[in-house]
Amino acid sequence: MAGLQYILKRLALMIPTFLLVMIIIFLLVRMLPGDPALAIAGDKASDADLAAIRNRLGLNEPLLVQFWLFFTNVLQGDLGRSILMRTSVMGVIIERLPTTVFLAAFAVSLSLLIAGPLAFVAALNRGRWPDTVIRTVFQVGLSMPVFYIGLILLTFLAAHLRWFPVGGHGDGFTGQLYYLFLPSMTVALYTSAIIMRNLRAAIIEVLDAEYVQFARAKGLPNRLILGRHVLRNALISTVTLLGLSIGNLMSGTLVTETVFAVPGLGRLMLEAIFARDYPLIQGLTLTFAVLVSIVFLLTDLFQSLLDPRMRLS
Amino acid sequence: MKRNLTAATLMLAMAVGTPSFGQERGGTMNFARYDGSRLIDPIYADRNPDIWMVGSLFDTLLRSSDDGKSIVGGLADSFTVSDDGRTVTLNLQADLKFADGSSLDAEDVLFSLDRARNPDLGPWAGMLGNVADVTADGNTITLSLSQPDPTILSMLATFNTAIVNKDVFDAAEGATDQEKSAAIFAAGGAGVGSGSFYLCGFEQGASMDFCANEHHWEMGADGKPLPYLDKVHFEIIPDDATRILKLQAGEVDAVEFVPFSRVAELDADPQINMNLYPSTRIIYSPINARETRADGSANPLHDVRVRQAINYATNKEALIGLILQGAGQPMRAPLMSSSTRLAADMDLYPFDMEKAKALIEDAGFEAGTTITLTTLAGSADDATIFAALQQMWAPLGIDLVVEQVDGATRGAKNRSGEFDIHTYGWVDDVNDPSQVTGWLGYTPVRHAVGTGWESARFNELFEASGSEMDQAKRAEQYAEMQEIYAEAAPLLFMYETPFAVAVSTAIDGYVQTPLGANIFSRATVSR
Repeated sequence: MAGLQYILKRLALMIPTFLLVMIIIFLLVRMLPGDPALAIAGDKASDADLAAIRNRLGLNEPLLVQFWLFFTNVLQGDLGRSILMRTSVMGVIIERLPTTVFLAAFAVSLSLLIAGPLAFVAALNRGRWPDTVIRTVFQVGLSMPVFYIGLILLTFLAAHLRWFPVGGHGDGFTGQLYYLFLPSMTVALYTSAIIMRNLRAAIIEVLDAEYVQFARAKGLPNRLILGRHVLRNALISTVTLLGLSIGNLMSGTLVTETVFAVPGLGRLMLEAIFARDYPLIQGLTLTFAVLVSIVFLLTDLFQSLLDPRMRLS
Repeated sequence: MKRNLTAATLMLAMAVGTPSFGQERGGTMNFARYDGSRLIDPIYADRNPDIWMVGSLFDTLLRSSDDGKSIVGGLADSFTVSDDGRTVTLNLQADLKFADGSSLDAEDVLFSLDRARNPDLGPWAGMLGNVADVTADGNTITLSLSQPDPTILSMLATFNTAIVNKDVFDAAEGATDQEKSAAIFAAGGAGVGSGSFYLCGFEQGASMDFCANEHHWEMGADGKPLPYLDKVHFEIIPDDATRILKLQAGEVDAVEFVPFSRVAELDADPQINMNLYPSTRIIYSPINARETRADGSANPLHDVRVRQAINYATNKEALIGLILQGAGQPMRAPLMSSSTRLAADMDLYPFDMEKAKALIEDAGFEAGTTITLTTLAGSADDATIFAALQQMWAPLGIDLVVEQVDGATRGAKNRSGEFDIHTYGWVDDVNDPSQVTGWLGYTPVRHAVGTGWESARFNELFEASGSEMDQAKRAEQYAEMQEIYAEAAPLLFMYETPFAVAVSTAIDGYVQTPLGANIFSRATVSR
């Protein structure tokens, strides 16, 4: 019951968050220099054409009127019509969302698969050569821009060795696994470097904790100590970090989806910004806000499972 | 590089005009584009990725000849213009069909031309502004003009006058023409156009498919309808490096907008033909010629001598070497000399630093004055242009600084006059010099491409040329306009560039026209 109350409270707290996001993004996109009418009609359009487009899109209305329209439409589930795509914003987002969610989930899975075992190896060999090698390699990964990692992977694994396709998103589950492996790996290499550093430090800290020493003194098997005591406690801070990383990961999709020609929300956001597509930028920002809020909520719930001291109420 | 350019020109001429024998049929050509189409409709296409695809799905009544210098038949097999220039008569070919096999007749032509000249619909209606009425008698179409119009035949060969199926529009869902058009495009299918292909697949921002129109009227070398291909599959890949990697990995057959820095590398690849198609594309920089800047301060660029000086001080050949790796030519006249009719025979501001210094001194230009060059953020070409100009103009005492903005901001600055000089580019949409001339110099169109420069004589000549049916007189008017414009130098005249398209050796017969249109109808694939 306490858990349910906590979830409802968190969901209720999302309402002012989304309202704030709506106000900020509404004002921010309108502060951008550049005219959406010009972005639609192109440089060759006449002044009369631009005036007609502004009129048609309601851009001549006072800001408050525009915001009220946007706000009331969102409450009714209508994110407006994309200037760029000439279709409903909701429709475009629903079409692109699965690809980005798949990419993000795939990237997070790969990050954990890479970072988890290596963090253990590094922590258990603290100060010795495996630890040094792992930390050095990840430090290099961390210091390289995402697009550069992407281009290196593309050049060698796709164009040269032809193990993977250069771009695109594939059909079906296996098709997506195949096509989105390189973009997911690009994001994962960066994210896993952060997770590995954090998890390694947490494992080292927990290994030195008195309850672990006590467990060892009791003669518990090493596997049980590592699995039940060390991993569970070390994961608490890592789960928080992972939740925060997913926010970064979303922004990383802007670059990754462009480099790998993946038609997801990140690439759509870039196109929308360059085209000054106000409704689409607003719709996408709200979508990202919802996704990140859900991830944060799930993070908190998962943390409470790992650590009974964290009372949901 | 010149060899490539010549080869591309020859290919353009041969592929569009001359039938070749033993052509293979069938297969799919995979084409990587830098940006996707959003709505391919003759009258609503307003971005190059849309405009350049209209011709594949929709035919026009007339067409530009292979060399771009005259007009030939299309859906109409003959045409005449009356002596007074007020009536155009066209004869529609017999037994024309749309891609679904339904007949294309005069009713569709009237419907399409009425759409095209309706100012409440698309942005291109002004191009048919002199058309007062369109009537049909059997297969004879008559256009009555409110005044003689020397451009009318070119306009009937332009994408916005392409013919659409009236019945499909009548049956489409939607309250307005634009909604109907969007619904038709979203549904795809063979019914709406008579081009060599029809839209058979579309995923917004990701991919697009064109399938062969088996009812197309134009015949190939083997006596069967064009196109030779079964299908063209497009993938949208905005990143230059990824597009090229796709070609090198054999995942696509062609990539457009190859950066010129990669041309030599791809040219050396035996599996790739690196084509440089002649284009009407120019790169130039509007100069703010107003008396004062937007902030009210004195504008040193108002003085024509300063504008002339920076033109003389700009080494265009060096810019072409730096940016295009030699694959271009300096603008020798205000109109693109390589591909535009009526371009003047002149040598526009050859590099001459001594003359530049004399002009700047004569103008009393204060050394150390700051001038801002507005460039596109993220554009490697613009960054190179700035770095080169900064050095080239330093001997004149100009302190050139850069302001980087995105495309929408640059466009807004051009219209508001809040700039000193900014980079810009242009590609013709119409096979007639009136469009670019109006854009660059005629005040009512766009204040001489936002420069604020104005010449009453230029405007008078432009207006007169709009109804001048005597080609020799019209040529004189254009020559004088170009002289006035060159002398006044409201632009930094830079260079003309080709369209760089890398194509796998498995593909033959694909071309891009000087106006940018992608022509797949004579392309073949042999794997």
